[in-house]
Amino acid sequence: MQESPTPLSVLGPQADAERQKIRQQFEADTSVRETLQAICELADNHVRQIFGDVLRVQNREADGLCLLALGGYGRRMLFPYSDLDILFLFGSERTEQEFRPLISEFSRTLWDLGFRVSSAGRTIEECKRIEEDNAEFHLALLDRRFLAGDSTLFERLDEKVLPGSEKQARSFLLAQLHRLTRDRLTRYGNTIFHLEPNVKDSPGGMRDYQATIWLRQLAEEKKGIRNITAAEEEMCAAAVDFLSATRCFLHYTNGRNDNTLTYELQEAAAEHALGIGDGVARTPSDWMRQYFRHARTLNRQLLRYLEQKAPVPLTLRQRLLNAARAAKYDVGESKHFHGRDGLLEVTDLSALSDRAITYSLFAESARTGTPLSREAERSIGYVLIHPELPPKNTEMPWEKLREILGSDYPGLALRPMQRLGLLAEVLPEFGLIDSLVVRDFYHRYTVDEHTLRTIEHLQELADPPDERGAHFVQLWKTAERRDLLILALLLHDVGKGMPIENHVTGSLAALDSAARRLKLSPEERAEIQALIEHHLDMSATVQRRDIFDPATVAGFAESVTNQERLQRLCLLTYADIHAVNPEALTPWKAEMLWQLFVATSNYFSRTLDRDRLHAHDEVSLLGRIEAFASRGTTQEIERFLEGFPRRYLAVHSPEEIAAHFGLYRKLSEEPVQTQVAATRHGFALTLLTPDRPALFSTISGVLAGWGMNINKADAFANAAGIILDTFYFTDLHRTLELNPSEIARFRKSLEDVLNGKAALEPLLKGRERSLRGRTPKVTVATHIGFDDSSSAHCTLLEIITQDHPGLLYEMSSALARLGCNIEVALIDTEGHKAIDVFYLTAQGKKLTAQKQELLREVLQGTLG
Amino acid sequence: MMKLEAIIQPSRFESVKDALREIGVEGMTVTEVRGHGRQKGHTEVYRGREYTVDLLPKIKLEMVLPDTLVNRVVDTILKSAKTGKIGDGKIFLSRVEEAIRIRNEERGENAL
Repeated sequence: MQESPTPLSVLGPQADAERQKIRQQFEADTSVRETLQAICELADNHVRQIFGDVLRVQNREADGLCLLALGGYGRRMLFPYSDLDILFLFGSERTEQEFRPLISEFSRTLWDLGFRVSSAGRTIEECKRIEEDNAEFHLALLDRRFLAGDSTLFERLDEKVLPGSEKQARSFLLAQLHRLTRDRLTRYGNTIFHLEPNVKDSPGGMRDYQATIWLRQLAEEKKGIRNITAAEEEMCAAAVDFLSATRCFLHYTNGRNDNTLTYELQEAAAEHALGIGDGVARTPSDWMRQYFRHARTLNRQLLRYLEQKAPVPLTLRQRLLNAARAAKYDVGESKHFHGRDGLLEVTDLSALSDRAITYSLFAESARTGTPLSREAERSIGYVLIHPELPPKNTEMPWEKLREILGSDYPGLALRPMQRLGLLAEVLPEFGLIDSLVVRDFYHRYTVDEHTLRTIEHLQELADPPDERGAHFVQLWKTAERRDLLILALLLHDVGKGMPIENHVTGSLAALDSAARRLKLSPEERAEIQALIEHHLDMSATVQRRDIFDPATVAGFAESVTNQERLQRLCLLTYADIHAVNPEALTPWKAEMLWQLFVATSNYFSRTLDRDRLHAHDEVSLLGRIEAFASRGTTQEIERFLEGFPRRYLAVHSPEEIAAHFGLYRKLSEEPVQTQVAATRHGFALTLLTPDRPALFSTISGVLAGWGMNINKADAFANAAGIILDTFYFTDLHRTLELNPSEIARFRKSLEDVLNGKAALEPLLKGRERSLRGRTPKVTVATHIGFDDSSSAHCTLLEIITQDHPGLLYEMSSALARLGCNIEVALIDTEGHKAIDVFYLTAQGKKLTAQKQELLREVLQGTLG
Repeated sequence: MMKLEAIIQPSRFESVKDALREIGVEGMTVTEVRGHGRQKGHTEVYRGREYTVDLLPKIKLEMVLPDTLVNRVVDTILKSAKTGKIGDGKIFLSRVEEAIRIRNEERGENAL
């Protein structure tokens, strides 16, 4: 006689009671490992009992059928509301047909008992084949565990069938695992720092751990990967326990398989010190810091294994990029690190105790765009925590930090610096926002993550991934002192980590301490202060003001004060909105931001002569200049500065202005004063002299005669008619660079021409052919525009044309021939494009319409 | 019930939102849109390149209102969105047959 199965009316309450008991024990501080074990045992017992029951009811033996637990269930990491992944393994297709009704009954019963079964069925033959469109199944099979039924069938599969097919499919499975993992990480923005993370799927979640286990299994650890250390294993185990406890808690609290750690549940978890075990309630932000610390451990481990062995060949683009980076990297520069496969590797681990070398590694990464390998990062981390390697040169001087911040890829250095805790060491103020959750409806990431993303969005502008960045590419490429912009970004939200109402006030206080420690100059500090202070202004203006109203533009321009700051502020705003969440910077907002930038930029270049300096009112400026000036009284400095356009202050530091003043004082001895200095990209010529006809064109002519290519120039006049011209030029034939004594000869030549002691024409004669020699690679159409409305006294002439050596001389001599006086000039180049704005008068007045027409004809004839 | 769609200047959005909140209207859908009616775009030249803005940025508000509230909301929007200049936008009203709250399946004005 058949034994009758235990009825559901008995089993159901039993299962519920056991579940309840496990939950109560978990809530009464039973360890999460024991809890998971208990949940798994409960499931195993019921699976076996129900399986036995249905076999008995159907009067069958289990020959040719067995049940396997897969995935997390196979690993005995079953969470309260997780699915039971079960594989029905059949000896043949015939047994599959025979057992079908039994399996239906089995699955239905388990469902009725509250177990969510996720099942699959395969014959042993089918298990030999790799299903290319179902890599997830094969990966889950790596965690197989026998549950019930025909154990000989399981042994055949486990010992004979799978080892061979898994070995054969190893590279396929590795590639698929890489793809699935990368896709998942990308879906979550490749960051652990979500304000409401998913503890299973987000980067740093339990899936990272699971993927790491699979990678280790598949990659044959002994052959390819350096073993992880005992300390790393310990950290990893602690992280798994913490996240497991959190996931259990979420399942129990939500009553379903919901793994989102919402703000409300963060509060509850912090209240119970969940996963910490000391029972001392934490604030939600403190508890979340613990969460991120553990998530970082799991994520770092995963990324390290992902990087160890790229299973997919590099694409052509990746190979080209690596080659381009390798070309930038000078192997001879350091014996401590080298580039390999597009990554920077550490050659000499012991050298890393010298922080100066470690910082150079970061600087190299930021300069060349070559990321550090995970192994290099791990090596640095190892040195940082081992006291037997006492660190040397721990202080990072501003000069070195500047080098990193001002480079093309600052984020590539700052990101690993933050992961290693070095960023908070160099910039302790940044530590205030480490893993900090600030709740709002818009931000998706923690404050530190948001900050680093702002910087990464800027460096992405080298090759913007979508149309939103298109307008801002040139702004990023041409921005000067990017180090100040990046430091402002690093500090702009630091105040959010302080117990004050207005975070901007806190961020400014943080700047104070950082500026003192880093010994920033007053000008550097003032610029960063302005960027932090106004970091929300541009966004607010775009969203709350009518940006097509000239009054809005004028008001905004007044608060920004100059073109250079506008450029930095625009980039900062672009990055700040972009890093709120992936959708925050809509094309609509990007366009509005760009429109405000354009309107304000044009406002600056068209109103340059309106805003003149009244030196007497500039008390602090006068003081700073006086501090740098070796001689001269305050009154003399006032006389010198009086009437210069305010822009003069924006483009020159007090130290430079003091040097100009020094030249000014010598004018009584020699009417033309010059100074030539080497710059990062060439040379700068400063010239001071009383105004005279055709001055600008003569200087341009001498520069052209010497084979110099002018990239940028400013021409300003003060109230007394003293002209201060600055020309930034490249030395095409390296005359000055290779023969420093030629600088003196060049200056003398310039002074002689201006003083009428030498003629310009012979100088130019030798250069005539080379001036227009080469065919340009990019063609720029000439645009000539006049504007009579922007300035009260001058006509503005804007010329955009193809740049070539001698261009400025051609234009300015044409202006001089037609009797036009250049009151102010702004000369700039952008690749092959020359962009020049001249403020012109003729006999002290604006240009007449006829004069403008004549000038247009002449210039068009000259420029083509 | 009426559906109200208002196209307004982005710069007036905060004022309109605050004014609506004051009369008890909190729920609305907001979309960033571009377009133009009688107000034409304009051209800005930057570094020799012309940037023509022929579709001007606007904000579109959408809300479904009980009949009793429609006139009050329209008046509020008119007052708070008006600058008197061309380009202030428009308000469109249309009849709505039914509203259903997904959470509890409430219907009609109760679902608003």
